[in-house]
Amino acid sequence: MPKILQQSLFERLADRTGRVLEFLWSGWAGLAALCLLAAVWQAGHEAYGPFILTSPVETLRAAGALAADPDAWTVGLKTLQRAVTGFALVAVVGGALGIVAGYSPATMRLASPLVTVILGVPPIAWIVLAMIWFGGSDATVRTVILVAALPVVFLGAARGIVTRDRGLDRMARAFGAGPVRRFVSVGLRQTTTTLFPALALALGTSFKVAVMAELLANAGGIGGALADARINLDIANALAWVVISVGLLIVVEYTLIYPVKGELDRWRRAAQPWGIKR
Amino acid sequence: MASGRTAMGDKTVIALNLKGVGHAYLGRTVLDGIDLAIAEGEIVALVGPSGCGKSTLAHIAADLIEARAGRIDRGYRRHAMIFQEPSLLPWATAEGNVAFSLKLAGVPRRERAGRIVETAERVSLLPEDLKKFPVELSGGMKQRVAIARALAVRPDFVYFDEPFTALDVALRRRMQDLVKETCAGGQLSGLFITHDLQEAARLADRIAVLDSHGKGVLGVRIVPSARPGWDDTAVFDWVQSALKHDPLFRHIHDVDERQIA
Ligand SMILES: Nc1ncnc2c1ncn2[C@@H]1O[C@H](COP(=O)(O)OP(=O)(O)OP(=O)(O)O)[C@@H](O)[C@H]1O
Ligand SMILES: [Mg+2]
Repeated sequence: MPKILQQSLFERLADRTGRVLEFLWSGWAGLAALCLLAAVWQAGHEAYGPFILTSPVETLRAAGALAADPDAWTVGLKTLQRAVTGFALVAVVGGALGIVAGYSPATMRLASPLVTVILGVPPIAWIVLAMIWFGGSDATVRTVILVAALPVVFLGAARGIVTRDRGLDRMARAFGAGPVRRFVSVGLRQTTTTLFPALALALGTSFKVAVMAELLANAGGIGGALADARINLDIANALAWVVISVGLLIVVEYTLIYPVKGELDRWRRAAQPWGIKR
Repeated sequence: MASGRTAMGDKTVIALNLKGVGHAYLGRTVLDGIDLAIAEGEIVALVGPSGCGKSTLAHIAADLIEARAGRIDRGYRRHAMIFQEPSLLPWATAEGNVAFSLKLAGVPRRERAGRIVETAERVSLLPEDLKKFPVELSGGMKQRVAIARALAVRPDFVYFDEPFTALDVALRRRMQDLVKETCAGGQLSGLFITHDLQEAARLADRIAVLDSHGKGVLGVRIVPSARPGWDDTAVFDWVQSALKHDPLFRHIHDVDERQIA
């Protein structure tokens, strides 16, 4: 027995290492795309001049200067904290509501029009309302994130439950699983198929909305810094903050979403032949 | 049903007793007035044309769907089920799928690995296949994983819903022998759904024929399996003569008749 276990541990480790390497390798494609973007940016800079568009190098230098400044770190971390807590809030609330609606058609019928209404109200209106309710605080930003990303997460979770394989529920029941057990081991796992893309989308929305809400509600953070840059007509700083917020999103996405998704999708990758993964 | 009763005798313990069971899907009656009793240690084959409600009956008996009418008494301790489709968890390896039933049965973690290896061997699954995900397995392998999942929990009653249809002839025979062995050794009883009379005669103690519209069990025949020399030729001869002379089996292959009617 121990020998088999050892072997399986080794295999699992090798499998995981392989996946990490492959993942890093796919980074080259991302780098190439970024270089392409930088080239277009540079062309724009040369056409319109530094007051409209600073060069990529200049922007990176400004971002580097911000990275060396502890105050800028406080500003960036504030937005990060707001976006991540807002995202966590929407993931829990949207996921729970979606799962309930997936299991209960009555709830679904009730919730669908509400989702349409929420989708129809422009985010800017929510920002105004949240400002009136909460002022320029974390709660304002989190509320706007919650409202903006809720429909996506809700639909992702509900869809996963609705389209689940009922045969598996039946199978689990035949082997003596109660409703809770069936939900945890069979239902929840199947939701991830549609819930994860929705969560990835929601995370991106969280960052964008956080910056937007900060700017409009004058609540500090990266949005506040952008507002300052606008007042000073400091295009290099503005672009540097954009780069930083995109960077933060990428870091969070690759540390929070992708590892979990990779673990959950192991069986899907097993079905793909070598060479055309991802 | 009288014939079934006398065959079992009066002192036998009933593992499963269905009385007047009926079911309807969206108002359309698919089963009506089904009576069937299975004694402990007995395997009853259930045959009938496609769509007559065999799977539905098994699901009702196993408490997966609720019957519209009738009474179900279960005298067994633990049942397991092999479904018509393998119904494997796609995200778990073959091993993980077998472990799933063991976990639900409350088998301690330490014992699971041993049980999995042992059961996999019984259904001729190779150790390397155990590490594969269902998408990497052939149809027959998937079905064997499903069989292993059911047998691993050491049930005393098994619902077999056409379990061997995806297997080739040789493997099919092996699985049939496996069922026979398991039955002879332990106290296994079962309801074995099949449309293959040959298979039914090979495995079962009795064969019940379901009406093609699910309106009751048309009749039950005792398979003379205890008879000395009950080998393949004997099974074949019995099935041939049953098909020719027994009016009960006349309609079980008439799928078309049902569709035209
Ligand atoms: N979930 C369902 N909803 C509505 N009708 C159903 C459902 N499941 C089965 N039926 C109907 O019930 C009838 C019996 O189906 P069942 O699956 O029990 O047949 P079966 O005897 O197992 O057939 P087969 O030998 O082809 O597996 C069929 O006419 C089928 O159309
Ligand atoms: Mg069936």
